[in-house]
Amino acid sequence: MMNVVAATACPSGVAHTYMSAEALERAFKKAGHNIKVETQGSIGIENQLTDEDIANADFVILTKDMGIKNEERFAGKKIVRIFIGDAIKKADAIVKKLESHLEK
Amino acid sequence: MSEIINKKLIKLNLESTDKNDVISELAQLIDDEGRLNSFEGYCTNVREREDMSTTGIGFGIAIPHGKCIDVKEATVAFGRKEEGIDWQSLDGEPAKIIFLIAVPNETESNLHLKILAALSRKLMDEEFREELIKTQNEDQVLKILTDIFDSVEK
Repeated sequence: MMNVVAATACPSGVAHTYMSAEALERAFKKAGHNIKVETQGSIGIENQLTDEDIANADFVILTKDMGIKNEERFAGKKIVRIFIGDAIKKADAIVKKLESHLEK
Repeated sequence: MSEIINKKLIKLNLESTDKNDVISELAQLIDDEGRLNSFEGYCTNVREREDMSTTGIGFGIAIPHGKCIDVKEATVAFGRKEEGIDWQSLDGEPAKIIFLIAVPNETESNLHLKILAALSRKLMDEEFREELIKTQNEDQVLKILTDIFDSVEK
């Protein structure tokens, strides 16, 4: 089992931020992993990651369509940067990729 | 504050056959409800957003959206086209369900934004998408969407 944290953000902050968060949550939970996703959208930051969440994470997933706020929090962690579109469409593939990295 | 969607903002058989016309057709519904300051301005904003990257998220769904001063109040218009519309979607599939979202530049309340966030999340649910594709009439669509919107914490 992996512990994953993620932060998502999109240019308008209205829709894709939340779609990608939901898609990642669904895919990782389905595969039996722990995931917590912080959304940085037009409502502001929600489900904010704590220092403890980040410390316990095997991987940090960040969307790269626009800058993620407070990225310095993740210094020293294994960071995976993905496009929002891939989070929405290929979340299962992202899970598998991280699983294979963890086994190594 | 009026509801984010109503029956007049739902059109189950879109007449348009391309993306540009669908945006106009659905924006017209929003304008008819008196929720836009400028129809042209809003449509331009939506198209500029489309040009940055497609809002065809795959699964037969597109969510074109515009956030600008041309919008008076947050609104969602729902359109459906059985034959599908080419939306340069992430999975190459035509869009059969289109949510056109209008958000004012500055909103007094976060409620509408929370509703849109809830809708966005819900669209990742396959059963929910199936339900929307199968609905027979506007009332059913309205019921399904209102149920989600009402579940958002006020």
